[in-house]
Amino acid sequence: MTDQNNKHDTHSPLNAAVQHPIVRLSDVCKTYEQGKVRVNAVHDVSLDIQHGDFAALCGPSGSGKTSLLNLIGGLDVSSSGTVIVDGIDLATIDGSELSEVRKNRIGFVFQSYNLIPVMTAYENAAFVLNLQGVDETECRDRVMATLKAVGLEGLEKRRPDEMSGGQQQRVAIARAIVTEPAIVLADEPTANVDSHTAESLLDLMEQLNRQQGVTFLFSTHDQHVMDRARRIIQMHDGKVASDHAQAG
Amino acid sequence: MNLNRLAWRNLWRRKRRTMITGFSVAFGVMLAVTFTGAGDYFYTRMIDAGASMGMGHVTIEAVDYHRAPSLKKRLQHVESLREKALQLPQVSDVMTRITGQAMFASASKSVGGMFIAVDPAQENSENNLFIRSIIEGSMLSSPEGRNIIVGSKLAQKLHLRMGKKVVYTTTDVHGEIVSAIARVSGIFETGISEVDGAMAMLPIHSVQKVLGYQVDEATLLGIILKDQRFSKSMRDKLAAMPLYSKAEVLSWQQSQPELAGMIAVDKSSNYISQLLIGLLVAAGILNTMLMSVLERTREFGVMMAVGMAPGALFRLIMLESFWLAVIGLIAGIIITIPWYIYMANTGIDLSGAYGDDFNFAGVLLDPVMKIRLFQESIVAILLGLFTLALAAGAYPAWRAGRIPPVESLKTI
Repeated sequence: MTDQNNKHDTHSPLNAAVQHPIVRLSDVCKTYEQGKVRVNAVHDVSLDIQHGDFAALCGPSGSGKTSLLNLIGGLDVSSSGTVIVDGIDLATIDGSELSEVRKNRIGFVFQSYNLIPVMTAYENAAFVLNLQGVDETECRDRVMATLKAVGLEGLEKRRPDEMSGGQQQRVAIARAIVTEPAIVLADEPTANVDSHTAESLLDLMEQLNRQQGVTFLFSTHDQHVMDRARRIIQMHDGKVASDHAQAG
Repeated sequence: MNLNRLAWRNLWRRKRRTMITGFSVAFGVMLAVTFTGAGDYFYTRMIDAGASMGMGHVTIEAVDYHRAPSLKKRLQHVESLREKALQLPQVSDVMTRITGQAMFASASKSVGGMFIAVDPAQENSENNLFIRSIIEGSMLSSPEGRNIIVGSKLAQKLHLRMGKKVVYTTTDVHGEIVSAIARVSGIFETGISEVDGAMAMLPIHSVQKVLGYQVDEATLLGIILKDQRFSKSMRDKLAAMPLYSKAEVLSWQQSQPELAGMIAVDKSSNYISQLLIGLLVAAGILNTMLMSVLERTREFGVMMAVGMAPGALFRLIMLESFWLAVIGLIAGIIITIPWYIYMANTGIDLSGAYGDDFNFAGVLLDPVMKIRLFQESIVAILLGLFTLALAAGAYPAWRAGRIPPVESLKTI
C-alpha cells in the first residue's frame, strides 16, 4: 500500500488546502415522500471531506447521518445540490458508472457487517477485487496483507457464522479497504459489538487512517466513538449543526 | 470467487428447498420422457401396423388410383419399379400388391369385402399384418393356385372352415364382372372387426389372370422403410425420379389420411400435456428463485453497494437457475433410466382396460404400453425443460437487479 500511503498522506491543513477534497457536498438536499408527508432527510448540506480525514457524523436517530452517507456513497441520489466524490459529480453519471465509482473509489462498512454468508473471510475480503478483475496472484497478496493488517491472519477460511461479531466487522473493514478506495464510509460500525470489541475496531480504523492514510467517514451517536474522531460533524434535523476538528 | 462458484454455493444454502425443486425438475423429465416416449412408440407402431396392412410407408400406385380406386388403373413394369426402389438405402422392403373390392360367396351366403393379392415370396410377418395374424392354416405358398386366406369374422359370416370353397367376384381390367373359385387355406384374426370381417388374401398371379392383368402389372407397390419418419422425404425422392413419373407416389400420411389426422390430433393433446408439465416445472423453479431472491434482498443491496453491477447480479441469479436446472436434469436422467428400460422392454399391459379389439383409426394396436424415445425427442425434452428452467429464473434475476441498493439495505 505504498502508493496509497503517498496518495492519502495529507493530514496537514496545508496539504488539504492545495488538494481537491475527496468529497464535496454543495447545498445538498434529500427529500423523501412518506405517504403524503415530505421528509427533509438532508437539508442544504455543504461540506468537504479531505484526504486523511477521520471524521464522525454525529447526531441522534433521524438526524440524517445515514441518508448523508448514502448520498456520498452513491447509493442514493440527492433531490438537489451537488455531490462530488473523488472529482466525480455523482449526478452526472448513470447507474453503471455509479457502480464503478462505488467499486473503485468507495469502501463501505455497515452496521451489521453484511458479509456474504457462503463466502469465507478471504473470499469476502476479495469480493470487490474480483469484481474489479484483479488477477488472482495480486488479489491473494493484497487480501492476505489486508487480513493481516486487520488482525485476521489465520482466519481466512472461516465463514461468517464461524466468527465473532468483531471478527466479522474486521472482515468488513478489510473488504472496504483492500481496494484502496478514496474514502471508507462506515455506518455505525461499532453499534452491534460490545464495548471492548468497539474499542479494538476503533483502534484498527485509526491505525489504518494514521499509518495507511485511509480516509474514514463514519456515522455514530456513541459519545465514546465520537471522542476518537479528529473531526466531528454534528447533524440535526438533516442539517449540519456544527463541524469542528478535535484532538483524536 | 467467480459467479459460478458463488451461484453453486448459494443453491445449497437451503438444501431441502433445492432438493425439492431439483426433484420436481427430475420428475418433469420422467413425465416428459414417458409422454413423449409413449407417443414415439405408439405412433411408430400405428404407422408401421398401418403400413403392413397393405400400403406401406410409401405407396407407388397408378395415377389417380388413390382418389378414385378402380382395377382398371394399374401400374406397369412393376418388377423394374420394385427393383429400383429396393436399391434405395432407407428402403427395407417393397411388395407388389393388387387390392380391390370383391363379393365373397360360400355355399350358404355372400358378403362384400376387400381382397389383397400378394406374392408370398415378397411377404413376411414383418411387412404383412395378415401373415402374423394367421390363427389357422398357413400363409400362401405360391403366387399361383387357388388358395385364399380369409379374416376370422368373414369366415364366420360365410360359415367357412379350412378347405372350404369360396367364390370371389370382382370387375376385371375392362370393367367386366369376373369370378373365380378358391379354397380356404388359412384364417387370420387381426383383432380389428372391420378388417377381420371383410378382408381376404389371394395369390397375385391367380388374381392377375382373373383380372386380365399382365404378369408385371399391379395396382400398387408398398414400400416399407427402415424408419417411418423418412416417409415424406422418401416420397419426394421417388416422385422426383423419372422412372416413377407415370406413377403417383404417396407417403403414408397421404395414403392413410384418417390415421395421419388421428395421430396429429393425439400429438396435439400430447404436446399440451407436455407444455403443462413444463409449466409446472417452471413454476417450481420460479417459486424457488423468487423466494431465494426475496430473502436475500439485503445481501444483494450490499453487493451492489460495494460495486456489483445489476447485470452481474442478473447473471448470478441466472447461474443459480442454470445449476438448479442442471441438478434437476441430471437427477431426472438418473431416475428415468431404470424406468425407461422397464417401459421399453416390458411395458404395461392395457389389454384388461381396452379389451381384445384394440385399434386406433382402423389400425391394430399393441395393448402393451411401451415407450421408445427418438434421439431428437431426448434433445427436445432436455432442451425444452432447460429453457423453461432458465426462463423461470429470468424474472427473479431481473427483479434482483432492479431494487436500488439503498432500498435493499433497508430490508431486514
